[in-house]
Amino acid sequence: MRQAVRNYLVFLWRCGRLAFVGDWRYYTWMGVLSVFCLLGLNAYARQFANGLIVTGMSDQVSWGVYIANFTFLVGVAAAAVMMVIPVYIYKNEELHELVIFGELLAVAAILMCLAFVTVDLGRPDRFWHLIPGIGQFNFPASMLSWDVLVLNGYLLLNVHICGYLLYCRYRGRTPAKWFYIPFVFIAIVWAVSIHTVTAFLYVGLGGRPFWNSAIVGPRFLASAFTAGPALIILAMQVVRRVTASAPANDTSLSRGELGTVQRPKSRAAASSDLDLLARHLPELASVPKEARQSILAGATVLEANAGDVLLRQGNTEQRAFFVLKGRVVVKREEGGRFRITRSLGPGEQFGEISALAGTPRTGSAVAEEPALILSLPVDSLRKLMTVPGLKKIIRSRMSERLLITDRALMTLRSIVQVSMLINVFLLANEVFKEFYSGNLHVASSKYLFLGLHGHHALVPWIWTAIGFNLVAMVLLVLPVSRSLKWLNVTCVLCIVGIWIEKGMGLVIPGFIPTPLGELVEYSPSLNETLVCFGIWAFGLLCYTIFLRMAVPILQGRLSKANEAQPEFGVSGVGPQPAVQP
Amino acid sequence: MPNPTSTPHPSDPTPPDGLSRRSFLRSSAVVVSGLAALAASLSPLRHLNDFPNVEQFLQKYYKELTPEEMATVLKRIEDEVERQYGLRPHVRDLKPMNGVEFVYALNLTRCIGCRKCVHACVAENNQSRTPEIQYIRVVRLPHGSLDLEKAEHNYNPEMVPEKGYFYMPVQCQQCKNPPCVKVCPVHATWQEADGITVIDYNWCIGCRYCEAACPYWARHFNFTSPSIPKERLNLDMAYLGNRPRRQGVMEKCHFCVQRTRVGRYPACVEVCPVGARKFGNILDPESEVSYILRTKRVFIQLKEELGTSPRFFYYFDV
Repeated sequence: MRQAVRNYLVFLWRCGRLAFVGDWRYYTWMGVLSVFCLLGLNAYARQFANGLIVTGMSDQVSWGVYIANFTFLVGVAAAAVMMVIPVYIYKNEELHELVIFGELLAVAAILMCLAFVTVDLGRPDRFWHLIPGIGQFNFPASMLSWDVLVLNGYLLLNVHICGYLLYCRYRGRTPAKWFYIPFVFIAIVWAVSIHTVTAFLYVGLGGRPFWNSAIVGPRFLASAFTAGPALIILAMQVVRRVTASAPANDTSLSRGELGTVQRPKSRAAASSDLDLLARHLPELASVPKEARQSILAGATVLEANAGDVLLRQGNTEQRAFFVLKGRVVVKREEGGRFRITRSLGPGEQFGEISALAGTPRTGSAVAEEPALILSLPVDSLRKLMTVPGLKKIIRSRMSERLLITDRALMTLRSIVQVSMLINVFLLANEVFKEFYSGNLHVASSKYLFLGLHGHHALVPWIWTAIGFNLVAMVLLVLPVSRSLKWLNVTCVLCIVGIWIEKGMGLVIPGFIPTPLGELVEYSPSLNETLVCFGIWAFGLLCYTIFLRMAVPILQGRLSKANEAQPEFGVSGVGPQPAVQP
Repeated sequence: MPNPTSTPHPSDPTPPDGLSRRSFLRSSAVVVSGLAALAASLSPLRHLNDFPNVEQFLQKYYKELTPEEMATVLKRIEDEVERQYGLRPHVRDLKPMNGVEFVYALNLTRCIGCRKCVHACVAENNQSRTPEIQYIRVVRLPHGSLDLEKAEHNYNPEMVPEKGYFYMPVQCQQCKNPPCVKVCPVHATWQEADGITVIDYNWCIGCRYCEAACPYWARHFNFTSPSIPKERLNLDMAYLGNRPRRQGVMEKCHFCVQRTRVGRYPACVEVCPVGARKFGNILDPESEVSYILRTKRVFIQLKEELGTSPRFFYYFDV
């Protein structure tokens, strides 16, 4: 027990240290974010001392950009499930890598949500009145009390799922299904609930006809499933870019110099090699002698020197590999650069996915140091996978790869595409109902879209949003958005368009005119804007730190096995491992 | 599992077991400047004037206070007011009277839109003068229409009433089914036995959800510390009524609990020069409001279709 606690604390300590090391790009990025955080904190301190009078809000428009941002970010958090559903329900392996990144984004988004509601409170010192059991919790009558429960619950669920999976990966263990799969399914339902509950905050108010519409909930989900995955598409490309290690003209790997690359020596594998592997895969020890012979048929052992290429991206040969000794890195060529996707130690395997599927290799494997590699024909691998316990290990490792493929991004693109179509359709429904019926309740919509009695502060906002959404929709439908450059433009349009539509376009006009017909406009004050920037910077800071910890764990570069070694990043090398000559 | 390629090179100046002096100095400098930046960013807190002390912070919810605790709280509030204004108020915790349910009736035929009620209310209830908070909003409507989209809030003629218009004062409607109470996440606002919806100003967290939920724009927020001239302070105060509020909490019309729960009329009723405002106990068949609701052919509840069921009725001389 004490050992387990110690291991976990060491894990946290090593992860925590990683947050403070990186290359100059990392320090610059974190420095800029910290400056924005401090500016936001300064603005909030001013608000805390003087009250919400320093914002642009009034008794007429009593919620502003804080709640607008909150609403948008609940959607982003909810959209994490759009990664989870394809993976766990439709077994989409391409998106598997992205699940953890999506959930970490959800965690960062919820932290921002909590910050935004806190800064919106008039008496943040009385937050404890909201704690169930300690304060007075108006549950289930108040939708806000539901929101407190679902948001904090969602935070815990996601922290548990990603924390557990990452820790297992760090320990080199297979995650126990019962300890996370049920939570994954709860999280899926929960994600829908957080955004529905947030919609109900507005929908439930009979005195605000602009919000009192059944379509707001579905609209929130559709827009969330557009903006959330769009944000992940952008974030994942940043991760891919940052984890890219060597330029593609890395001599040892370039296709042009294929012939000059040293091939490792090889010899036929013997039973003693399986014993060596069994030291790291204890399940193997139980395999009877006859079975061993059939597994070893056609198997070889490669005796590689540092720098030897063991398999090459794009090749198709149906062999799988296990590291017996030494370390191997797997690199992928993407956009002219090589990115290290994994670093493998003894007992770990590579090349088995393409071997089983008969597809081209998705990356190249290079020995990082003198290594012994067991090379198995695919039939032997299949036999190995009939050994009780081994199949599970091999399969679960197969799905833990850090592969952000273009195909995965394209899957996200189709989610964004469908969601945006639904979102625009639902908005059109709302606009039709408001304007065609022409009853007295159209005042807010008139104010929003056309301006009312000479007041039209929101008109440019909403038409910008509609313009962005429509352009994004068209781009998403056209094949042009299959190119990453255009997809990125589209994603930015989606995010900005939806931020405006849900914030300035939904929260604010609900208050204008007031229930007594008074027209008072709203625009955020400078102080309020600084607080918002501060919270966004804080969220990005959190997300960066999460990725800074998660990426090396997923790549296998930060693990229990290398606990005794000096940290790879601490020597100041940055995200790349310190590969020494 | 030691990894030969990653162990430090023998000539590496950094000892593997600790920090070098240079890196120690460097990280200390980073930490110190970070803390300095943090302190600088928090500097506006020096002007903080409404930070709760321990007693205020830990004060229990109104309905959970024992009579003894309530007495302590009332005394503390009196001390606070005295410290701030130099005058000692009398703060009471007035409970609803048995067999009483208050109802308001307002005669739209008579109201002339003079706004005397608005200002009497401000004076009675110790409302902030800057920024200005008012519980009653009088709107001017064109002859024949109750459409609030046509309401003029800032009418300011030489003389009222004006031809072609009528006036409608709106304040808390003391709903039987109040949306504000339903949405409050912390039970800081509730309906009392005499029908008055009150707020525990020491419990409200200032989320302003009730303000969004109220269809009558009756709830108002203290965007900063309220300011009341010392000589205008009404020293006859109630805990759930007109005691001075703090920054960051909601307030609203409470039918002048400090008056009505001891048998007096609300300030707005007393001040009305045309007798348009009627107030009383609906459970008493002999009361004026019972008589009005029994005999008037037409009276309306504002936004009746929302199902809030106001205890505030508008009627006409017909």
